[in-house]
Amino acid sequence: MGRTSYLGEFEELILTMVLILENDAYGNSIVKAIKEHQNREINLSSVHITLYRLEEKGFLTSKMAGATKERGGRKKRYFQITNAGKALLQEMKDARMNLWKLSPYLKFSS
Amino acid sequence: MSKPGPPKALVRFFKWYCRSPLQESILGDLEEQYFEDIGLYGQAKARRRFTWNVLRFLRPGIIRKLEGNRKLNNYGMVKQHFKTTFRIIKREKLYSLINILGLTAGFSIALLTLSYVYFELNYEHDNPNSERMVRITTDYLDGGTLIDQDCETYHPLGPMIKEQFPEVDEFVRAYGMNAAVVRVDERNYSAQRIFSVDHSFFDLFNYCLIRGNIETALTNPMEVVLTKSTALKYFGSIDVIGELVWSSTTRAEMKVVGVSEDSPANSHFKFDMLYPYSLMKETLAKRETQWSSNDTYTYFLLNQPDQYGQFQQSLERLNEKLIAEEKIVNERIISQPVRDIHLYSHKTFEVEANGDARTVYFLLGVALLVIVIAVVNYINLATAKSLDRAKEVGIRKVIGSSRRQLRLRFFIESFSINLISGVLALGIVAILTEQFVHLAGLPSGFTLLSIPMFWVLFTAIVLISSFLGGLFPAYTIASQNPITILKGKFSNSSTGVWLRKSLVIFQFAIATFLLIQTFTSIRQLEYMQTKDLGLNSEQMVVIKAPATGTEMKNFGPFRDQLLSQPAFNNISLSNAIPGLPTSMMGSTTGINLIGSDERHSYNFFTYFFDEHFIPGMKMELLAGENFREGVKQGGDVIVNEEALRLWGITDPQNAIGRKVTFGDESKIVGVLKNFHQTGVKSNHIPMVFRHSYNWGVYFSIRTNPGNIKDQMAEIEELYNANFNSPFEYFFLDEKFDQHFRADEQFQTVFSTLSLFALLITCLGIFGLASFTVAKRQKEIGIRKVLGASISQIISLLTKEFAKLIIIATLLAIPVTYLAIQNWLEGYAYHIDIQLGLFAVPALIVIGIALLTILSRTFQITNTEPVNVLRNE
Repeated sequence: MGRTSYLGEFEELILTMVLILENDAYGNSIVKAIKEHQNREINLSSVHITLYRLEEKGFLTSKMAGATKERGGRKKRYFQITNAGKALLQEMKDARMNLWKLSPYLKFSS
Repeated sequence: MSKPGPPKALVRFFKWYCRSPLQESILGDLEEQYFEDIGLYGQAKARRRFTWNVLRFLRPGIIRKLEGNRKLNNYGMVKQHFKTTFRIIKREKLYSLINILGLTAGFSIALLTLSYVYFELNYEHDNPNSERMVRITTDYLDGGTLIDQDCETYHPLGPMIKEQFPEVDEFVRAYGMNAAVVRVDERNYSAQRIFSVDHSFFDLFNYCLIRGNIETALTNPMEVVLTKSTALKYFGSIDVIGELVWSSTTRAEMKVVGVSEDSPANSHFKFDMLYPYSLMKETLAKRETQWSSNDTYTYFLLNQPDQYGQFQQSLERLNEKLIAEEKIVNERIISQPVRDIHLYSHKTFEVEANGDARTVYFLLGVALLVIVIAVVNYINLATAKSLDRAKEVGIRKVIGSSRRQLRLRFFIESFSINLISGVLALGIVAILTEQFVHLAGLPSGFTLLSIPMFWVLFTAIVLISSFLGGLFPAYTIASQNPITILKGKFSNSSTGVWLRKSLVIFQFAIATFLLIQTFTSIRQLEYMQTKDLGLNSEQMVVIKAPATGTEMKNFGPFRDQLLSQPAFNNISLSNAIPGLPTSMMGSTTGINLIGSDERHSYNFFTYFFDEHFIPGMKMELLAGENFREGVKQGGDVIVNEEALRLWGITDPQNAIGRKVTFGDESKIVGVLKNFHQTGVKSNHIPMVFRHSYNWGVYFSIRTNPGNIKDQMAEIEELYNANFNSPFEYFFLDEKFDQHFRADEQFQTVFSTLSLFALLITCLGIFGLASFTVAKRQKEIGIRKVLGASISQIISLLTKEFAKLIIIATLLAIPVTYLAIQNWLEGYAYHIDIQLGLFAVPALIVIGIALLTILSRTFQITNTEPVNVLRNE
């Protein structure tokens, strides 16, 4: 395996969420989506920190846009997944699937 | 409709710690969540959650670095504000020049005046003991009324009070000796300020000896301590311990045992030479224990500065005791803190002529007024200019300046101009200090720039003035709506116009006030200078009589030789001279008429003269006759009108032949018309004169008109041919002029201040008029086209200002009336308050102001309407 970066569970979750939300991925929407899909309460600050870390690692890009009145006229920072990010997610998924395939329980049931 | 936003303090806190590139999006998210939370959980919980979130963001990665590589201050903006300020200064030259000139003049004049005030207020402050020191003085009473105050008291009081008052730590007595001739190596010098002092003097007045042993100095009668400059004058060196000086006081050689530093300029007690107090017992047979003469200065050092009240109470009790013991009659011993002496004590026999608190505070007030006038100029011009500035403000707002940043911009502009003026003023102060020191009578070498307090004051003045100057534009212009400004709808607010008008009135009222006061002081000085003295002081030369009795034997030949010359027509002999301080005379309390039941204890001043004195001085005898030549008249006295008044004699003729209790008893042979013995500033004093040839201290010579230099040379030649003592002389009219030297100084300083105040005010109105005229160019153009005459236009433009100035004058006059009335009451003889005193200066102010305005309006009315209108 030639992977250079490893993602933690939370990082992977966030990265996945950015992938899912496509053009509407910013701090608040991610918090909401995680709550909706996973019923998990996440603090905004953790989301932001993780987003910035992922951006630093090159898996995300961001741009400022979409000011609304509810935000006191402030812009959102929209995140988008990069190809590297997508490849990493794919790779992680494949790696996990490969591992699952080795599970005897899985074998028996299939 | 606006819902309450998230807690502001938290938002500010967040902005403070968060890295700036992240701020916007995070804050946006936070706020969005907050409003959602309000919908979901209500406001209280939303706020709690918001708070929690903000706190949760306090983590690495979000918090800005301590020394961030990103500049987060508005240094760049401040720099830009300075840049625009300097551009404005450069672009609007007249406006900036008026502001800077006005402020510079105001600052420098105020700083100079403050230096004078500082010096006067800091008298005695070099001596750390002065805080705890008091002086006791004597009041002369007649029943319940106070007649006179004398700053000397009785000799036994010092030791007595030290022993009886627990709050007194130490005392010192200083007996003022007459001026003496001092002989060193066969050369004669005159010594003026000599005192016989207790040994504690050095301790209390905080002197150390630069040569000699302070422990033993002045413990033996025939010792003397010189100041550094006296030692240098006599010996040319300060290593003079053990040298001998011959003094005319003791008529013996005295040993130099110490050299002290010179007296500080800001001490009321200055001396050239000190004798030991014991000298008086031994040589002069003076009375340690006698209650016969109150002629010594007595000071005490208290244990604590706050014991002054206690000391006064103790003194009350002592007075009662002394009166009961009949040690003092019709007198009262009172006290004064030493630090109050210079500004508040105006008694007879002061050690030196003191300053006056009134003058000092008055000048302080005027100095502040001058600054205020200069600042008002700035405010006025700034508000007037706000119309031009409004566009800039509008653009800045559109670009995104906040109100606070715009305010900063106005304060920076005000600060820059004040700072430039302040620095220029410092330069002017540095250049003018020397002249000013001379003008104000400060010690030479006095400079403000070395006093830390000066810099504190300077900074404070510049900052306060900047603040006041920036305040109005900062709060009015910066608060305007940018849309209105840029649409061109912005006009000067009514507050601005109102403020400007009242400030102009205020300025001119002050200027008028100052000018009237100046005018009054000039007139008063003129009055004093030309007032009839009761004698003729012109063409009078007074020379010091020789110091020794043996020399005096040559007086006859000297006199004959002198009068044989046509240049001189009178020479007389006396032991005091009109125009000199009262301390030169003797004084006796309670000379009363024999045969009258009334008993008073007025203080009478006495001196001796010969029969040539009255004709020589050109004094006038109202009744009786002069002393007669060659006749012994031991029991005869000549008195003055004031003495008659106190005795209740109205007709001088009735006084002749009456006897008074002076000596054993004396007969009045003549009555002199009052003359100003102590100068025209003070009241006449009661005087009694005796006839004597033996007490000459001064020769007064009346000269005929001619070359005064030749005459002086002749007198000196004759003097040196007959006497050994040094030749010293003065002109009598100069002595009289000295009495109002302080007034002259005050008047010069004051006139200068007022002149500057007027100048700065006119500068301001000049700027204001230029501005108004420039704004109304088009209006005037149209009026001209429609046929208005030049005079109509001028009156239109001038009327507005003229109204303000006249209101100002009317407001100023009542206040000024009270002020000058109060001021004139300080003089025993003063001019009457007349309409002219107000009218002339008021007209001058109005005249100058109108001329200033006219000079601007006239210029504009002469331009062709076409030139101003074609650009529409």
